[in-house]
Amino acid sequence: MTYVFQFGIVFDRFHELLQGAWLTVQLSAISMALGLSLAIVCAFLRTTGPRPVRWIVAAYVEMMRNTPFLVQIYVIFFSLPAIGLRFEANQAAVVAMVVNLGAYATEIIRAGIQSVPIGQIEAGRALGLTRIQVYRKIVLFPAVKAVFPALASQFILLLLGSSVVSAISAKELTAIANTMQSTTFRAFEVYIVVTVMYLAIAVAFRGFFAAVYWLVFVRGRA
Amino acid sequence: MRTFSSNEFMFLLGAMRWTVVLSLIAFALGGALGGLIAILRISSLLPVRLVATGYIQLFQGTPLLMQLFLVYYGLGLFGLRLDAWTAVVIAYAAYAGAFLGEIWRGCIQAVPRTQWEASESLALSYLQQLRYVILPQAVRIAIPPTVGFLVQLVKATAVASIIGFVELTRAGQLMSNATFQPMIVYPVVAALYFVLCWPLSLWAQHLESRLRVGAAIGRAK
Amino acid sequence: MRLSHLLAAGAAVLALTLGSGAADAQALDRILKDKKIRITAQVDSAPFGILGKDNKPTGSEIETARQLAKDLGVELELIQVSGAQRIPALLSDRADLAISSLSITSERAKSVWFSSPHGALSIVIGGPKSVNIKSAADLAGKKIGMSRATLEEQEVPKIAPPGTNIVFFDEHAATQQALLTGQVDAIGSAAFLINDLSKKAPDKQLEVKFTVVTAYYGIAVKPGNFDLLQWVNSWVFVNKHNGVLAKIYETHTGVKLVDLPAM
Repeated sequence: MTYVFQFGIVFDRFHELLQGAWLTVQLSAISMALGLSLAIVCAFLRTTGPRPVRWIVAAYVEMMRNTPFLVQIYVIFFSLPAIGLRFEANQAAVVAMVVNLGAYATEIIRAGIQSVPIGQIEAGRALGLTRIQVYRKIVLFPAVKAVFPALASQFILLLLGSSVVSAISAKELTAIANTMQSTTFRAFEVYIVVTVMYLAIAVAFRGFFAAVYWLVFVRGRA
Repeated sequence: MRTFSSNEFMFLLGAMRWTVVLSLIAFALGGALGGLIAILRISSLLPVRLVATGYIQLFQGTPLLMQLFLVYYGLGLFGLRLDAWTAVVIAYAAYAGAFLGEIWRGCIQAVPRTQWEASESLALSYLQQLRYVILPQAVRIAIPPTVGFLVQLVKATAVASIIGFVELTRAGQLMSNATFQPMIVYPVVAALYFVLCWPLSLWAQHLESRLRVGAAIGRAK
Repeated sequence: MRLSHLLAAGAAVLALTLGSGAADAQALDRILKDKKIRITAQVDSAPFGILGKDNKPTGSEIETARQLAKDLGVELELIQVSGAQRIPALLSDRADLAISSLSITSERAKSVWFSSPHGALSIVIGGPKSVNIKSAADLAGKKIGMSRATLEEQEVPKIAPPGTNIVFFDEHAATQQALLTGQVDAIGSAAFLINDLSKKAPDKQLEVKFTVVTAYYGIAVKPGNFDLLQWVNSWVFVNKHNGVLAKIYETHTGVKLVDLPAM
């Protein structure tokens, strides 16, 4: 018996996949914004905070970077309710994505900060700016510019990694695909289409990041 | 009621073995593939470069879970009778190949252009240039990010649990179900991954800082 | 829809280039020749398939698979799958048989071929005593979890009133954890599973709320494997008569096996 491809079944329900894709985009975008904010704060604390704070941030970063995202999701969704912290699926997904991205982005931005010439920082301090002012006005901008490509890659990894949040019942693109394959048994067709959709979303995000880079760092400073 | 004790912990440890084995096999096969991809990626022939670039873009632009599903469900449809192990290994090797290929491409291209020109002037063939002049230098640069990627690969194997492959994460889920103590089991699972990954991360950092010092000394000379 | 037409055309081209799989009409011969049969094992689905005290797979369906392999005179290879992969494992030729409490439905029969049934189950809504559900109407406003690719996934949405929040997990392990950690108010699942959970975790005070549907489950083969299906049917027939199937069922479920209709 030969296998006959039936993509029609998938395209009849394409609007469901589009809904899932939209949730994937939303979850990712929110997590990118929050994760980046978290990282900017953590990178500041990691480089200029008091020693115990630096240690805490370092521990957080190492913990997140050395454990799988999927296990982090399980801890947040299944373990935390035992201590009274209950997130519903989408919230748990965002929390997991934010703390995960936050850790990676902290390290990336820290590398960027270290690339800023020390003379600039000293000059800022000499002008009487506070530490936070120096960070905000002098260090952050060139630091983020220097590491922007690395940050963008990390964002894309986050977007693609978000496919595993289907495991805790978030109804994003992969979850819709799983449901569709379990009712149509057309696993291969469903996943081919969904893979292409992810690719398209990733390409769109890359384009968006390139535009942001150009607007903020190229044209903005010209 | 069953509780999480040494018996359950041993089950997790036993399953961790499969995480390690899968990571190592995928790393070895992915390394071979990645080497090929890296060489193709710097080829002077445009179509060859395009194929290699396309491969990298495809695997870096789509979720690992989808790649896993497609290999897992797909290969069987074409008359290939594969056990779950083989299917999972193929998927991870393909994934690792794309990432390692791109990492190593960067390392090869980080070797100064003048090195190519110098070796060419010595009448070495393309392959000889690559083998005797470029690669030895590129390998040194490549080791830290390669170790770093191994950490990423170990963590990525957790995704195989979603298709029912029994490794550390899946074992954690089964034990969490048997004991009803997810608040113990999952942190323990996370800790076990940490034990695997952290030394590798530290090693990668150490190698990288040594390389940076070496480069600085090289420049000073 | 324009876009979907375009995508379908592209997909069709892809399908043509990829070609198609080979036939396997002599599955039984191959199994006998290899002296090995590959059967699905779902170990997060008590009492059909679980990990025993020694963390080895057991349960009524696993023991059924063991008995079948023994009677066929070949070695048994258990292919561990999640619930959602029972059928894909067959279709992608990863397993020869699915013996994983696969309820016989006309929907599924479009994709796989079933043997005569060898067991029965009922799908129920189960949850903690504190959650007030007495009938389908009470599901409104509640969050109900269930596993994908199950009978409950097909049946519960049909009886659920508008306003029911149904969420899906990829496997029973996650669905059960969601119930036990209070991430959902109740779950749809086999009644056995609820009973098993309530015995193992008495403090959660779990109970069966109401029955959604009852069903018979059978052994599934990949479509086209006539010879294998024929042998399996004969095996089911023999072991129904000699009481072996009933004994396995009763040992693991604690319930007497009902009269099974022939197919």
